Amino acid sequence: MSLFLFVLKRVGRGLLTLWFAVTVTFLLLRLLPGDPALAVANPNMTRETRAALLTQYGLEESLPVQYVKYLWQLLQGNLGISFHQNTEVTTVLMERLPWTLLLAASSLLVTVVVGIPLGVLAASRRGGLWDRFVQIVAVTGQSLFVPSLGILLLYVFGLQLNWFPIGGAYTDGTYGGEWYLSVISHLVLPCLSLVFAQLGAYVLTMRSSLIDALGEDYVVLANANGLPARRVLWKHALRNALLPTTTLVGLQLGFVVGGAVLIETVYAYPGIGRGIYEAVTQLDFPVLQGAFLLLAVTVVAVNMITDIAYGILDPRVKAAS
Amino acid sequence: MTTPQAQQAEAVSVDAPPRAARLTWRRFRREPLGVAALAVLVLLVIAAIAAPLLADYPAGYGDTVLAPPSGAHWFGTDSLGLDVFAEVVWGAQQSLLVAAAASLIAIVFGTLLAVIGAYFRRVDAVISVVVDLTLSLPILPLMILVAALVGPSTMTIILVIAAFSWPEVTRVVRSQALSVVRLPYVDAARLMTGSPVWIIRRHVVPAVMPLVLVSVVLTSSRAVLSAAGLAFLGLGDPNTWSWGRILYEAQQAGAMSTAWWLPLFPSLAIFLLVLASTLLSTAYNDARNPRRNK
Repeated sequence: MSLFLFVLKRVGRGLLTLWFAVTVTFLLLRLLPGDPALAVANPNMTRETRAALLTQYGLEESLPVQYVKYLWQLLQGNLGISFHQNTEVTTVLMERLPWTLLLAASSLLVTVVVGIPLGVLAASRRGGLWDRFVQIVAVTGQSLFVPSLGILLLYVFGLQLNWFPIGGAYTDGTYGGEWYLSVISHLVLPCLSLVFAQLGAYVLTMRSSLIDALGEDYVVLANANGLPARRVLWKHALRNALLPTTTLVGLQLGFVVGGAVLIETVYAYPGIGRGIYEAVTQLDFPVLQGAFLLLAVTVVAVNMITDIAYGILDPRVKAAS
Repeated sequence: MTTPQAQQAEAVSVDAPPRAARLTWRRFRREPLGVAALAVLVLLVIAAIAAPLLADYPAGYGDTVLAPPSGAHWFGTDSLGLDVFAEVVWGAQQSLLVAAAASLIAIVFGTLLAVIGAYFRRVDAVISVVVDLTLSLPILPLMILVAALVGPSTMTIILVIAAFSWPEVTRVVRSQALSVVRLPYVDAARLMTGSPVWIIRRHVVPAVMPLVLVSVVLTSSRAVLSAAGLAFLGLGDPNTWSWGRILYEAQQAGAMSTAWWLPLFPSLAIFLLVLASTLLSTAYNDARNPRRNK
């Protein structure tokens, strides 16, 4: 029962966040100077054309009425029509979403798989050479501008060494297994750029929480009982130190999405980010708005799942809320 | 007239804060990384202020297009033949201006809300919900939407970054302010005066000040990254050079792949600034609170 309540609470929180995102977007669109009707229309249009456009976009009604209509449309998955391509924004974005998800998820997976052992290495050799090295790598990654990192990898591994393709997401005209291979080879560089940018946060959190855990009484007891040091580290201390790292997944998500937007621009990767870049050049506001809302939904959903997983893994969290 | 003892006590209490600051400074000087980071930041600020003396403003067309670094052009030239060194130096001015202005607004606003929230618990509920909600959304796409709607200019970029940076400041400062408000001396002050403004100014704000100082450095460096991100997507001020705009122009001209110096130098500038800010804030924290580290 308490688990049910806990899940219910988190879902409610997620819905509240989404409502907040939608309301902020609505207010921004209506109150900021970039009038959507003006943006589509020719500056020389007559008053009648302008009035017709206003009616078409429902802009002549009062703000609360517009707001309710806006919410209703969003609930039906209607994000409006793209100014530039004259197709539904939902269709445009849904074609792109899988690529962004692939990029973000694969980078997250690699970061966790690489970052946790590195954090353990640093914590277990605290103050030593490995610790220094791992910390330098972590802080460097955190300080780099994500596109700079992308351009560097592209230049070295794409252009100079020719190991990986430098743009797009797959090779045209390939089928079956070959197509999947081309998808992977196109994914490597953008994914690694995002991994390096995120790695620092995971390594440093893992390191400090493991150092804390290694100072706990139960670790001292395990050592005093003569358990092998490796077993104490990997079996006893690590288990408890892993929990704060789990929360990072949710906390870092907004950053990963921002990084993906920039990296997709560098690599001409056909995800939402590249779509945003193109929409910016064409001042395609419906696409920009839809992209933000879609990314917000994704982030909120993943956040909710990690929160619930965290609550199940650590009963104290559930009890506290 | 006050008695000599009272005068002495007053002198000591006036003397106390600078002594703590001096102690911090003395410990700070012993951290080579922190001192180096401070030196790099000071150098970048000097370069930004002295930009007009260091290089002519890059405009129009140059004679040699995409020339690699040489004695005449230290950082090479771009696809219009403009000197990249001049662009980076003038870009430092723009990038630091945006960072300073945006973080100043965010810090003042964020600290104020944090302190008010910590003191008046009823307002706090609203503030912390807004902070939580904003922090759990993908901020870059939201900044892009706003910047595109308003139209790119230096003012827009400063305001957009400030508008979405204050929640982080509030989150950090609020937790500290909350623990200060519960301390006995604040309760004592409540008995002495009915003015919350006085208590906040005299007791709460000084207590969170060190945290605010660290926040200034970190918020500015994040602002540089956000501004560069917006500029890289074509939402920078089209009339001034910034580090992000150099990268954007290089990408637009398709010159990234052939002219390695185009992305390298603005990237290095951003990297140095952010790295120095991170190291400086870590060194300052360690110097203030030496037990916290090892």
